[in-house]
This record gives sequence, structure tokens and C-alpha cells, in this order.
Amino acid sequence: MKKLIALLLAVLMVASVLAACGGNNNANNNSGDNGGKTTENSDPFYGEDNISLLVWAPDNAVSLTKQLCEDFIAKYPNKKITIDVQAQGEADAAAQMLNDLDKAADVFGFVCNNINKLQQGNALAPVVADYLEDVKSRNTEFAVSTGTLTVDGKEQLLAYPETGENGYYLVYDKQYVTDDDAKSLEGILAACQKAGKKCLINIDNGFYGCMPLYTGGMVNNGLKEDGTQIFNDYDKEKVLDSLEAFAKLFHEYKDTFMSADPARIGSGMAENPSTVAAGIDGSWNAATVAKTLGDNYGAAKLPTIKINGTDTQIIGMNGAKLIGVNSRSKFPEAAQVLANYLTSEEVQTTRLEELNWLPSNKNAQQNDIVKNSPALSALLAQSEFSIPQINIAETFWTPVGTLGSKLFKEDDYSRATLEKEFDKALANILDE
Amino acid sequence: MKYIDYIQLNPFQKLGYNLKNFFVNLPKNAGKFFKAIGNFFKRFFVGIGKGFAGFFSRFIKGDWATKLSYIIMGFGNIVRGQVVKGLLFLATEVLFILYMIGFGWDKIYNLGFFNNGTIGFNEEGYGINPVTGRPGRIEGDDSMKLLLYGVMTLVIIAIFIVIYVANTKSAYKAQQTKAAGEKLPGFLDELKEFFDSKFHVTLLAFPTLTISIFTILPLLFMILIAFTNYDHSHIGKLFSWVGFETFGKVFTNTGAASMGKTFVELVKWTLIWAVLATVLNYILGMVVALMINKKGIKLKALWRTLFVVTVAVPQFVSLLLMSQMLDVNGGAINVLLHNVLHWTPGYIDFLGGDPWVARVTVIVVNIWVGIPYTILITSGILMNIPADLYESATIDGAGPVKSFFKITLPYMLFVTTPYLITSFVGNINNFNVIYLLTSNLQNSNDLYQAGYTDLLVTWLFKLTMNSQDYNFAAAIGILVFIVCATVSLITFNLTKSAKNEEEFS
Amino acid sequence: MIKSYKVRRFVTNAFVYILLGGLGLIWISPLVYLVLHSFRDEGLAYVSYLIPQKLSFQNYIDLFTVTKESSMNFPRWFMNTFIVAIFSCIISTLAVMMVSYAFSRLRFKARKPLINIGMILGMFPGFMTMIAIYYLLKAMGLLEMPLVALIICYSAGAGLGYQISKGFFDTIPRALDEAATIDGATRNQIFWKIILPMSKPILVYTVLTSFIGPWTDFILAKIIVGKDIPNYTVAIGLQMLIDADHVLNNFKKFLAGSVVVAVPITTLFLIMQRYYVEGVTAGGVKG
Repeated sequence: MKKLIALLLAVLMVASVLAACGGNNNANNNSGDNGGKTTENSDPFYGEDNISLLVWAPDNAVSLTKQLCEDFIAKYPNKKITIDVQAQGEADAAAQMLNDLDKAADVFGFVCNNINKLQQGNALAPVVADYLEDVKSRNTEFAVSTGTLTVDGKEQLLAYPETGENGYYLVYDKQYVTDDDAKSLEGILAACQKAGKKCLINIDNGFYGCMPLYTGGMVNNGLKEDGTQIFNDYDKEKVLDSLEAFAKLFHEYKDTFMSADPARIGSGMAENPSTVAAGIDGSWNAATVAKTLGDNYGAAKLPTIKINGTDTQIIGMNGAKLIGVNSRSKFPEAAQVLANYLTSEEVQTTRLEELNWLPSNKNAQQNDIVKNSPALSALLAQSEFSIPQINIAETFWTPVGTLGSKLFKEDDYSRATLEKEFDKALANILDE
Repeated sequence: MKYIDYIQLNPFQKLGYNLKNFFVNLPKNAGKFFKAIGNFFKRFFVGIGKGFAGFFSRFIKGDWATKLSYIIMGFGNIVRGQVVKGLLFLATEVLFILYMIGFGWDKIYNLGFFNNGTIGFNEEGYGINPVTGRPGRIEGDDSMKLLLYGVMTLVIIAIFIVIYVANTKSAYKAQQTKAAGEKLPGFLDELKEFFDSKFHVTLLAFPTLTISIFTILPLLFMILIAFTNYDHSHIGKLFSWVGFETFGKVFTNTGAASMGKTFVELVKWTLIWAVLATVLNYILGMVVALMINKKGIKLKALWRTLFVVTVAVPQFVSLLLMSQMLDVNGGAINVLLHNVLHWTPGYIDFLGGDPWVARVTVIVVNIWVGIPYTILITSGILMNIPADLYESATIDGAGPVKSFFKITLPYMLFVTTPYLITSFVGNINNFNVIYLLTSNLQNSNDLYQAGYTDLLVTWLFKLTMNSQDYNFAAAIGILVFIVCATVSLITFNLTKSAKNEEEFS
Repeated sequence: MIKSYKVRRFVTNAFVYILLGGLGLIWISPLVYLVLHSFRDEGLAYVSYLIPQKLSFQNYIDLFTVTKESSMNFPRWFMNTFIVAIFSCIISTLAVMMVSYAFSRLRFKARKPLINIGMILGMFPGFMTMIAIYYLLKAMGLLEMPLVALIICYSAGAGLGYQISKGFFDTIPRALDEAATIDGATRNQIFWKIILPMSKPILVYTVLTSFIGPWTDFILAKIIVGKDIPNYTVAIGLQMLIDADHVLNNFKKFLAGSVVVAVPITTLFLIMQRYYVEGVTAGGVKG
């Protein structure tokens, strides 16, 4: 009996210390329960057994993820674990999670721009202390920063970095666009025009439409408490200069420039004869496009654009893919162990080999595959000139996309009109 | 005019007569319309009052067994030999009490009466579990679930009250029958009634049950959601009652993309769309049907099939294909117009460009979608127009256009008014054409979560799925209902005088 | 006189033929485009010309043989939809017939109020309740059985679609019922033995529309089935093939799948067309 009380006290003490650390004010201390399970440090699952987990991975990674999960299960022969893997695109994963957390995956991949949304919906279980230091040290600083948010005045790592780069890069067909042309947007458009092919940038989509704004010096400076966007550090004239430069170029090459779903880059290059010679494409399409173009596959960081006579590097958006743990998981410990495993160096290397996903792990990033892959090196080169995809308000995307569409659709692209459109977009982003 | 005189008129005269009546009676009808609404409420409350009066008078007139039935349901029936029926009443009572104790009361309690209007008490969260000392889920309340259960409980209470009142009636009736010295019907006898004099109960029981659960319950729930603050900032959190604030915001017109501005813009376009889509489909469809059915035209079945096939292809296929073909970057139609026929100087942005170009495009595509339906429905009726009407018109020197407007259209309008009303309401709610063609292409920084081609329903959908503003979506749904109900009630009341549904009974 | 009349008729008929031909071409060309490109062999998602360069059955073969359990399983989607369609068709037809018979032929106190309630319910936009239905099904534990949930969703509210068949029943003479009542038939017997056999057009119309429903719904089904790809119906399965993640490699399969879905429905529809027209004109339109 005494032993039991002692044990209870110990558990309570640990609990209260941890509770203080976690800074959680919801925990209603109804002690007096019969002690629960004892905690053994040797068991990463803290006593959980008969574990069943649901994992979401994008369609093209499902079979690999299944394989990895089987390896994971094999690592713990004395536990009964079942893991189900479902296909869910990473861009839409957050919305799907928030639709119904109870039916959502325990462990899921998502794109880091959704981290605020997930946090506000109380959907994420932060990385547990057991792995925190290791995760922080083994991944690149950038990847860790995309998974970190300030919650209640404290920095928290809310998810495990999975890939180093989820951005876009310049892809071109070397038959028509030389490596030299590919350095500037003017060069690319001229080369495409000469070849009678299209150059595709999905500028009316916020993900790509932010380029003129970022190139003009805007940065997402964070979010207010109610989730609205903060921009406090930009020169409006410079932004307008950039918008004007883009609009002018798009109009100058009206028949060459095209804004459409990036899937059309691959489609157009695969046509016979091909209709698209260059474009700004997402990393997820890289494998298909590389196969289509073969030796003519060209990949580079984003080009420059002439603003007021100077070649300015186009700044894009980039981010990492993260693996999150559902805060309502029935097996919170096991979910953390699995998420940690799915982002480990070994697994990231496997993914690099099988899927060409750029690792976030520092060691895995040194792999030769990265150096030899044009798309991956292009992405790495671009990351220097990118705004990380975090602290972006939900209201950002649509207005920016709409502003982007004005740049090439409206015949009137005078500075005054652009300023009016910019003000409107800004007001919408700020939810005024 | 007597009915017998009326039916002897030719359709043209009938229409004239109806039109005259329409305008003569307009003030009276409008008055009637509002009076009918008043009457409805009057009857509703009088009915309830009468129900209560009966309820108490039965109690006073009842003997001890009947009186006891007011506490122990079915007691009166059991005492007088209707054991099965009585036991069923009793079982209902027991089940209801168990439900309320075990589940129901808690849900009512959580509805916000005791928590400043917030539904539920403890927020769901993630933190340190005090028992294991490990981080994990901290169970809390889910407002959505609580509200759903709360509404369900209210519905169950309502149903119970109905059964309870039926129980008192049944007990009193048994008492009276006994007193009159007649034999009480046995359980089986009463069951048999459900296949003859009470056959409607049997027929309607199952559909009413499913409709109550899967249509009325969700509807009540969503109507209530319109009065809460359950928008995108309350996902995963508790939400509260806010009264009419949501509706207030829908009508507020401040800021860049205010809801008020969006609402006005979309209501305008929804009405323009509904009128144009209905009228154009109706008239053009009839013209095509007339051409197919024209004397001397061969291969009628083939022509009809050519048009009607499009009805059978699922819309998400045909419309997605259409949007592909209308694409500005080398869609088939642009290729045809520009590269093959050289009619246009360049590719036209049918769906993503100028709002009015897009609006015209969706109306044209809707003609493509809708004409086949009109052909199907009107072909048969067109054949019924007396040929001598046309002949006399031709002798009078009327061309095909003139006779269409003078004879065909009035006749058809007269016969197909109900179809026109349904198709008008259908077009107000025409989701597929708009959504599949222009989903987000017309989105604008001037509108809140909507584009220039959006109807109220597609806005409702976007508010639900894209921005998770459930309360606004629900409020829009209620407003759409008000628009549809007003339109149909007015037209229905106006056309009602011309025909009488009960005439055969 | 006679001659000029003939000439005039010839000219107008020729004019009508040309007009019909032109319109027919416009109406049918998107479907021809669909069929043609479902056989396209070359290219990935989109091409910028009208006529495919090379035709093959590859897309159809892929459609039925590429059945990775996780992401694509067209044969299974087809079976799912078929099962859902059959069950919801039976239940909804019964419900519609029962409700419209009761409202049309029987007289009882609650009739008018119920008809009015039915009309009122029909005027709320259907999308308004989709979230509530989702949570309701979840509370009932039905989301674990998506196909059952779908059958319920498609048939639960079917009774509200009584207007057209009620209109049809209204046209059947009351004298028939009265004669049968005099012969001692109960209302139950009248319903099954007299009215239903006379209602073939409206029966076929109801069966047809409720059978086609599950093949074309792509909104509610998506919300209910969610991520459970093996339990998709064809509509949401095909929809998935053209979302941003899949379209590049799957667009041609989408076209082939659309043809596979459209052909049986179209055939069914064309065969039953006569009944459809009779049902809808008798019930929906009356003077």
C-alpha cells in the first residue's frame, strides 16, 4: 500500500512539473485515479499497445510509405501495431484535418504554410521532449524554422521536418532555351517567342502570384493574434516598380506568356510538336517533366527581371513539407514515435532515392543524388532567394492570385491602376 | 364566368381571361397572400390552444384510470383491456425517461443556457495528462456535436409530447367507449385499420421518419448555426450564440470585400441569371422542338436523340469538358474560332476574363445543358395544339414567327406554368453549371469569397468548403429560401385560381 | 399556286434541316470530342489540337488494370456505385410512390399541412445541410460504412420528390378507387393491385432518376466518403483523377472513365426515354 502511494506521489510530481513546463492551463487535476500505467524509459510507446495508426501521404508516396511503415512495425516485434496509409495531397491535408479531426490521420504530411491554420484549430501535437533536441539538431535550420511557431509567447516545434524544399524552380527545354537565356525572364520569353512556344507561369495563383510582390521587397512579417497578416517592412514604390515590370513584360510577350495550371508545362512539353518551352514549375512535377525532356531537360533557379534597368533576382516562396501528429490521436505516443521515424535520416535518404524528395536532414542533404539532380540543385540554389512559407494568413492567397491575374489580363497596366489593384489586394489580405 | 364556360374557351382566350383576372385581382391577391400568412399563424396557435383545452378537459372529465394515464402512460388502456397498446405507451414513457436521464438532459444543459451562450463548457485541447504525466489529448466539449445532440433531444421531446397527448386521448376514448357499453377494438383490429382507413399513416410513416432524421433535423441544426459565431476562427473551439449578428454582417457594407457588397452583387446576378436561363431555355427549346416535330421533317427520332443524349451524360463530365474546351490557352473552341475559322483575332478568355463575357458564356452553356430538357417536356404538348389554330392563322397571313408568339407561346405558357416555376427555382439553385465552369476563375478582390459569376448557392458552397464560415453559409441558405419561397408563393397563389387540384374529389 | 406552295415547303424544310443539322452538330460535338480523346494515345494531360494523332485502347486498359489499392481502383468504384444506385433506387422509388399515393388519393387531416411542409423543405438549398448530415452520420457511426451512408443519404429524402408522381396519380380517375372500394378492396390492395400497375411511366421515371443520381453526385459523396478511396463512387473517383496532384498523368484515364460511365446511362436513358417523357409531362405539367 505504501509503495502504491509513493508511486502515485512520484507520478503526480512528474506530472505537475511537466504541466508547468507545458504551460497548459486546461489540465484539470483530477488525481486519485488508480495510478495508471507506470512509465518505463525503455519503452518509447510508454505502455501503449494494440496500436493502430492512420497515416496520410501524397498519392505518389503511398506505396513507399507503406513499405516504410512495415519496416517500422518490424522494429518493434513485441508490440502489436497496425498502420493504414491513405492517399492525401499535402497541400489540402490541413483543410481535411480540420474538417474532422476525429476521422483524420494520426500522422500526416502537410505543407508548412498551413501550420498556422492547423495550430489555430488545435490540430497539432507538438514534438515531444524525447525527440525535440535531436530533431532540431539533425535538420537544417530553415526546415526547423518552418515547423516552429510562437504559441502563448513560447517558441514551439509543432511538427517534424520531412523535406527541405517545397518550392518552385525554372524548367526549360534546352532545344529552345539556352542556359544563358534562362538567366533572365526577358531572355526566356524572347527565346520562347523565337521558337513559337509558350512560357508558363501560373501568376494568377497566390502561390506563384506572390513573386512580383516579394521581388518588390514585401515579406510576410508574421501574424497578429487573430490570424491576420502583418506587413510592416516594405517600400510601396518599389513594390509598384516590380509589379509594373512584370506587367510590362507579360504584355510585351502577350502571345508567349501564359498563366495556367503548372501541370500544363509537362503536358505542353510532351505534345508533338511541343507547345511549351519553359515555365516555373513545382518540384512535385519534376520527375515527370525530366522523363519527358530527357537530355533537353534544363532546370535552374528563378530568373532575373529588369526593374528600372537593373536585373533583379525574382524572389519566390519556398517551404518545407512537415509531418504532423494529430492532437486527438488515440495513440499519441506511438504517433510521435512513428512521425520521428518517418523523418529520420535513413528514411529521408530512402525517399530521396525513390521519389527525389530533397531531404531536410543535414547529412542526407549531402547525398550525391542531390548534387546530380538538376531540379534539386535548382531548388537548393533558389532557397537563398525565397521567402519561407510560414506566417501566411489564410486571406493571403486569393487576393494575391487575383492581383497576379490583373498583371496580364487587364489592358490598362498603368502605375495608377496597378496601385489601385495593389491597395485593394492589400486591404483584402489584411481583412479590413 | 362558370367553369363550364371557361373550359370551352380556346387556349388563347383562356390566357386572356387569366391575364385579365390576374391584373384585376392583383390587389386582392396580394392582400390574400398576406392574409393567408396571418391565417396560418392564427390557425397554428388556435390549434395549439384547442389541443391544450382538450388536454385539460379530458383530465377533468376522466375517471381515475384516465387521470392516472396522465402520469403513467397507457394505464387507462391496460385497465380496460387494451393491454398491448397500453404497454407500448408505457414502454415509450420508460424509454423517454431513461433517455432524458442518461443522455438528453445533459445535452439540453450544454446548449448554452448556463454558460453565457457558449455551447459546451470545456475547450478541447492538448496538454499534459495528469494521470500518465505524458502529453496527450485533453478531452473537451465539441460545440457542433453538442448542438446536434441538443437539437435531436428537442425533436425527441416534441415527438414524446405528441405521443403523450395521443395517450391521454386514447385513455379517454377507451373510457367513453366502455361507458357507452361498446366493445373496445383489440390490438389486431387496430393494426388492420392501418391498411385501410389509416393507410396513410402506414404509407407515410417510413418516409416521414427518414425525412425527419436526414432532412428536417439537419435543417433545424443549420438554421440554428446561422445564429452562432461558428466561422473559420472557431474551428476546433467552442462557439456561442450571437443572435442576428451573422445576418447583420451579411448586410454590412464596409471594407474592401464586404459581405454586404458581395450579397447585393450576387443577388442581382442570381436573379438575372434565373430569369434569362429559364426564359431562354424555354423559348429556344420550344423552337427546336417545333422544328423537330415540323410536318415533313424526317428522322425525328434521330434529331431528338442528338439533343437528348446530353441529358444522360453526367454533368460533371460534360461541364468539365466544356470548361476545358472554353479554356483561354488553346481550348478546342478557341482553336476552332481562331486557328481554323480565323473569326477571332486571338484566343478569347471566355471564363476567366471580363465578368460579363463569362456571364454570357455560362448562360450560353446553360442553353446547351437545358434545351434538351425543354424538348423532352414540350414535344408532347406541342403536338396537342389544335392544328386549326395554326391554319386559321396562316390564312390570316401570319408567318411562323408571328404564329409562334400569338399561338404557341400563349398556349404553352398556360399549360406549363408549374414547370416554369420549378425550373425558375431550379435555376436559382443551379449549382453545377456555375461551379464546374467557373469555380474560382471569376474570384475578385471586390467580393468576399466569391466571384462575379457566383450564384447565392455557389457562394454558400464556397463559404462552407473554402473558408469554413458555416454560420454565414447557413444565413445565406436561409436567405435563398426566403427568395425561393416568395417567388413560388406569389406565382402559385396567382395561378391557383385557374385550376383546382381538388376538383375531382 | 400548288407548285409555289410545294417550292415554299421545300425551301423551309431545307432551311429547317440545315438549322437542325448545325445545332445537332453543336450539341453532339463535345461528346464526340470526349469519345475521340478517350482513345488518344499520345501526350499527357492536355493537347492543343482537336483531332488526336494516334488512337489506342491504352487508356481503357489502364483504367481497368491499374488498380493500386491506395489511389485508383476504377472497377471497384464502378461496383460501389452500382450497388449504391440499386439500393437507393429501390428505397427511393418505394418512398416516392408511397408518399405521392397518400397525398394524391387519400384524404386525411394532416394532408395539406404535410404537403406544405414538403414544399417548404424543398426550397432550402440542399448544400446548406451537407455539413450537418456529415456530423449526423458520424454520430450514428455510419461513416465507417460509407456505402450504407451513401444509400441512406440518397434515399432518405426521396419522399420529398413526390410532386411529379403526385401529379400523375391525380390524373388517374377516382372512379377506379371507388369501384374497388365497393368491391371490398382495402386501400392497401388498391395501391398495390390497381394504382401501381397503371403507373408504369411514372414508375420508370422515378426508377430512372433515382438510379442515375449516385452516378452523378460529386459533392455529398466526397464529403461522406472522404479519404476512403477504395469506397469511392465513380463520380468522385473521376473527379479525383483530375485534381492538381493527379491530372498530369491521369487526364486521359478520366476521359476513358467518363465514357465508361456515360455509355450505360445514356443507353438506359434512350431506351426509357418514352416513359420519362410520359411521366414528366403527365405529372409535372398540367393545365
